Amino acid sequence: MSFQLSYKKTDLDLTQTLNKPKKWYYVAVFLLGLGVAWGAGSWLHQILTGIGVAGKNNPVGWYLYITTFVFWVGIAHSGTLISAILFLFRVKWRASVYRSAEAVTVFGLATAGLFPLLHMGRVWVFYWTLPYPQMGGLFPNFRSPLVWDVFAITTYLTVSSIFFLTGMVPDVAIIRDKARGWRKKLYGFLAQGWQGTDNQWRHYTAAYVFLAALATPLVISVHSIVSWDFAMSIVPGWHSTIFAPYFVSGAIHSGLAMVMLILIPMRSAFRLHPYITDHHLESLAKFLLFTATMVGFAYFVEVFIAWYSHNPWEQAIFIYRAFGDYWPAFWSLFVCNLLVPQLFWWKRFRRSIPFLVFVSVAVTIGMFFERFVIITTSLAHEYIPFMWGLPDLTFTELGIVVGSFSWFFFLFLIFAKTLPVVSMWEVKEQLDPPVVRKSKDRTS
Amino acid sequence: MNLPRRDFLKIIGGATVATALPGCTPKKPQSLIPYVIPHEEIIPGKSVWYASVCRECPAGCGVHVRVREGRAVKVEGNPLHPVNRGTLCARGQASLHGLYNPDRLQHPLRKRPDGSWEQLTWEQAEELLVTELQRIVKERRGSRVAWMTPHLTGSLDALVDEFLTSLGSRRRLRYEPFGFETLKEANKATFGRSEIPMYDFARAQAIVSFGADFLETWVSPVSHAREFTETRTFNGKSVNRFVYVGPRLSLTATNADEWIAPVPGTEHLVALAVLDFILASGKATTSRTETRELQQSIRGISPAEVAEITGVNAERTRSLANMLLEAKPSLVVAGGPVIGNEYELQTLVAVNLINYVLGNIGTTVRFDEPLALSALGSYADLSRFAQSMEQGEISALFFTETNPVFTTAHRLNFGHAMTKIPLTVAFSSFMDETTAQAGLVLPIHTSLESWGDFEPTDGTTGLMQPAMQPVFRTTRMLGDLLIRLKEKITGRGTLSGSEQPFYEYVKARWRSVHRRTGTRQDFDGWWTERLANGGEFNPRRTTRLPVRLATRKYRFTSPQINDSDFTLVTYPSISLYDGRGANRPWLQELPDPMTQITWENWIEIHPSDAGKLGIKRGDIVKVVSDQDSIELPAYVYAGVRPGTVAVPIGQGHTEYGRYAKGNGANVISLLDPLPLQSSGSQEWSGLSVRLVKEDKTVPLADVAGSDYLHGRNIVQVVTVDELLRQTNELAEGKEKKEITFGEPGSPTLYPEHEHPDYRWGMTIDLDKCTGCSACVTACYAENNIPVVGKHQVEIGRELSWLRIERYFDDPPKDPSFPYFPNAEFLPMMCQQCDNAPCEPVCPVYASYHTPEGLNAQVYNRCVGTRYCANNCPYKVRRFNWFDYEFPEPLNWQLNPDVTVRSKGVMEKCTFCVQRIVEAKNSARLEGRPVADGDVTTACQQACPTQAIVFGDLKDPSSRVNALREKNKVRGYRVLEELNTQPAVVYLKEIRS
Repeated sequence: MSFQLSYKKTDLDLTQTLNKPKKWYYVAVFLLGLGVAWGAGSWLHQILTGIGVAGKNNPVGWYLYITTFVFWVGIAHSGTLISAILFLFRVKWRASVYRSAEAVTVFGLATAGLFPLLHMGRVWVFYWTLPYPQMGGLFPNFRSPLVWDVFAITTYLTVSSIFFLTGMVPDVAIIRDKARGWRKKLYGFLAQGWQGTDNQWRHYTAAYVFLAALATPLVISVHSIVSWDFAMSIVPGWHSTIFAPYFVSGAIHSGLAMVMLILIPMRSAFRLHPYITDHHLESLAKFLLFTATMVGFAYFVEVFIAWYSHNPWEQAIFIYRAFGDYWPAFWSLFVCNLLVPQLFWWKRFRRSIPFLVFVSVAVTIGMFFERFVIITTSLAHEYIPFMWGLPDLTFTELGIVVGSFSWFFFLFLIFAKTLPVVSMWEVKEQLDPPVVRKSKDRTS
Repeated sequence: MNLPRRDFLKIIGGATVATALPGCTPKKPQSLIPYVIPHEEIIPGKSVWYASVCRECPAGCGVHVRVREGRAVKVEGNPLHPVNRGTLCARGQASLHGLYNPDRLQHPLRKRPDGSWEQLTWEQAEELLVTELQRIVKERRGSRVAWMTPHLTGSLDALVDEFLTSLGSRRRLRYEPFGFETLKEANKATFGRSEIPMYDFARAQAIVSFGADFLETWVSPVSHAREFTETRTFNGKSVNRFVYVGPRLSLTATNADEWIAPVPGTEHLVALAVLDFILASGKATTSRTETRELQQSIRGISPAEVAEITGVNAERTRSLANMLLEAKPSLVVAGGPVIGNEYELQTLVAVNLINYVLGNIGTTVRFDEPLALSALGSYADLSRFAQSMEQGEISALFFTETNPVFTTAHRLNFGHAMTKIPLTVAFSSFMDETTAQAGLVLPIHTSLESWGDFEPTDGTTGLMQPAMQPVFRTTRMLGDLLIRLKEKITGRGTLSGSEQPFYEYVKARWRSVHRRTGTRQDFDGWWTERLANGGEFNPRRTTRLPVRLATRKYRFTSPQINDSDFTLVTYPSISLYDGRGANRPWLQELPDPMTQITWENWIEIHPSDAGKLGIKRGDIVKVVSDQDSIELPAYVYAGVRPGTVAVPIGQGHTEYGRYAKGNGANVISLLDPLPLQSSGSQEWSGLSVRLVKEDKTVPLADVAGSDYLHGRNIVQVVTVDELLRQTNELAEGKEKKEITFGEPGSPTLYPEHEHPDYRWGMTIDLDKCTGCSACVTACYAENNIPVVGKHQVEIGRELSWLRIERYFDDPPKDPSFPYFPNAEFLPMMCQQCDNAPCEPVCPVYASYHTPEGLNAQVYNRCVGTRYCANNCPYKVRRFNWFDYEFPEPLNWQLNPDVTVRSKGVMEKCTFCVQRIVEAKNSARLEGRPVADGDVTTACQQACPTQAIVFGDLKDPSSRVNALREKNKVRGYRVLEELNTQPAVVYLKEIRS
């Protein structure tokens, strides 16, 4: 960590993010609020009228909602990866980025979790998918991947929220110490009586390692389970054993891109350059290059197996993806997810902010397309040619998708002004401990 | 006596209530709380069946109407009726949508001078009518009163005549748009008999049809379809051949072994060439002089010339002739709108001669049992009628259930002619185009609410009885009205004193039938029995002189071929017929079997023509004839001849209720108003039209995703040779059975489902399925399937649990190679898999496996994730995207045994589980297991060719198993390799 930083400067720099926001912030919050309102209104309309106001039809029962669901679950993956796995591997550069990454996880899940409800025909009885004591003795069907999904998502949301809040405790305590009024109460609650005693630190660091160890398998399991929503079916293009690792690497890929997309503007807005350095971004870029090759490998394996298996249904679906109605989506995912990140082989591009943004945007779009292609093309061209068909894009469905993006960024903006976006205590861990010296520069 | 239990129950039910019915009159007060004092015959939850006659087309099939709690909920075929033998087509099923149509007229209406309607009471209306008629009689204009009816026979027909006679008039026109004038004219020209004979398809060893779509709309489609499949069944050695000659690949044509498309207007030359070959072969059954004379009258038409003009080479005509010569007896049928051109009469005469020289007259073409249809007037009669109206010769016009304003050419101006008549009275249930032109509209009962009788052939008389009390208490039975009017005007007669005059009238007429049968049973008992049976079926064969040629000299002419323009071919839609089905939502939503389009009509253009004009599917095309022009979306279809365009009749209503209005365009307006000189028929086809491509493209509301199989073995076809080879191998035990996955008992790691009592299954013989889609509408009727409307069909949300998948043969890779498409049909419903992909994926057990092997769907448990539908390889699950409406009183039709599903819920075929439960209940009450045949699914019940057989797979002697056993070589399961183990086995289609 840069030598000019001190504990005190760190505290000052990283709590100034909570100062009274500027005008652009309110404008942004308002606009995103409008987006959320559009989404909420669309949902209400859909509940009252029926799911038919979205564009699904008979062959294509899952469409943009499930696409967006998988997209957000994927986004949610990098957070825990960066905070937990990299923590366990003692990767130092994670310290300044993990807080934002965790926020992306929690808000990503908070967004993704809405979609299983959104796409349900009768959302008012969604609780039937939960195991609860019921008079008739009816329980969910544990053979259904959708039930696994319910557990996977709720577990992940719980663990990542706890991890997020626990990691914040020492930082929140600093804010609490300076806050007054209701803020003091709020931060006091979040700080959970943190005093920074040696005993507390001893327990805290141990607990943090355990939590990290607990969260790590979830990174793998959650998206594996999400992938089984597809892989467990007999739909050509879905029914594939590669899906779990394929989805996990894709999830991390998209998550890293989203973290980058959030960090770069945030760094400029809050002037966090000393904390989130180009080195950090470069590390993320390298990671993105790695996941890009993993994802690319999965793409080729999928196509190869379709050819190698001699399974006519599987072959037909890949030919359809490449040359059928959605061919632009198919080819653009190759370009966006695999080819564009290859730029990061050159340091020049890894260090260039515009290129980082460009690649991150490309990967985000590409990963959305990837889920879209997997879900929609497979359903549109299944076994019975008579029942092939394309869905319709409606205003309501679009509204809900746009609403979900608004909702995510809305939550993030609120977070950025209420909680420290960079972990103070972990940054400080990497600094030289303050030595009381009588020197001019120290007192000035 | 061999009387199945179900039939026995139906008869008993029908009989008991029939005896009680005369007590029911519309005057009884209806209480909001029914059955405070329970009705003796009506047991809540028990169906009562009434026998009646279907009046949706002139065929006159017998029906059973299922009535629950006083409401008719389903119409099925009457097994005793000789025309349809228990089956029913889609239009017959949809007669309930006529009965419960929300756009039915409910009050007498009088037109004000400004064209708006004034509602009258019945007293006012009757008084108005009586004074008007009395004045006409007083002014001695009684002979200028005219009556127009559709094809009627029996009591109502007689009553209309009596009504006219009492006024001193004989102006009566029985008009049907498809009146088979040319057929009668040709029979008159050849045999001197202006009649429509009975065609016996069942006996024919080879069939050729010249444009007669007898599986869809021609004469009596249900009985023809049944007989046709009977004769086409594989007899162990071969199948009988069927060749279709006509400009368009219709449903009938695609069921043929060969489709020959000569240049429109040259069909008679093909027929003559065939006749020539037959006469030249020396194998004709005619005497030598007759043969020579016939040869002379057709001389001058050389085979080479014919081949050049018709585009059908001599080899094909020769093989056609040989095919007919080899088969004894054979049958050649001809006629119908698709060849309804100038030369139709010549075609039909030539066909008559072919039948004659082959000796088919008297065997497969029987003039000893002529159809009552023969009494219909012709289009020429109608146009003369219109002329006399225009000239003011008619002082009052009465009409019922006939819609000439819609079914005649725009330029005939029938509507305008009506305005020249001081008094036009419509006895009508619906505000159709003609009714809208009337001065006085009197709403009448539909046929399901009326008494009456109908005689398709002499001696086969169906008896109609009201299946329920009238839906609207303000409508009247036409017969009652006529009797009352007649007696009021003449001041004679006593029937109007009775509560149900027409019932008395019908009964009185049946007394003579009773006498004629010579039975010793007393009339009342006999009458009750006839009511329960649905009529008296004792066809009388007239023993008249043998049919001889009226003359041996015929004149045939070569047509003028017009190269520049397109030739228009019109054809009646299988579901809408002449347009009368257009206000039935079930029929609007029923996909046309060939194009799979719903809710509209279209213009069929050959791909090569479409390419030349730059027309693509869905492009709006303006069709211009010298009479009028209409705009229609294009359907590019290899099943029409190049240079020919085809348009179905039936859409394009400007009135006729919410479901009919505004769909498609009425092609009849393009036609020439002048009747054909030769036959007096409307010139349905052969008109030359111009096509102008408009700058607009619309989506077509079709339900077909892809028209082709893409090499997938979903519909399987076997050739006769292959079938024989495999059968022999099976017999010799040579057959080396590979391990097949997907059959019960095949290797698996998992325990199989146990079915302790029953396991329901189905066997569907694709060789018998003609694609007529009667089963689809039957399924809608039985299972409360909502109609979703055009836009929802466009975006793929039709809710049909059962669909007829239509696949064309793959087109050749080389586009220059001639492509003659042929369609195969596959009825696809839930396959009730033993290893169902839908079951494990449901998070809440809404789809689960019953102990009887059904994939049940628990509607009230479903949360609507749609995963089951995604995972269903057959794509037979349907989702309720909205809450669908059944506008009052259509909701009265809903089957009380079946849930009406709410929005957000998945639904699917249940193998009519409500019928299974009903059969199990009654079996239990009788202390026995369910016997084979106790349960009939709605689709099986309707199927005119009995292609669908349902039953218990655990019962080794059941029909469903017996069929599988007998046709082992042909049996297959769709997508067998997925190991879903469906309970539905299809038998491969046989191609000769």
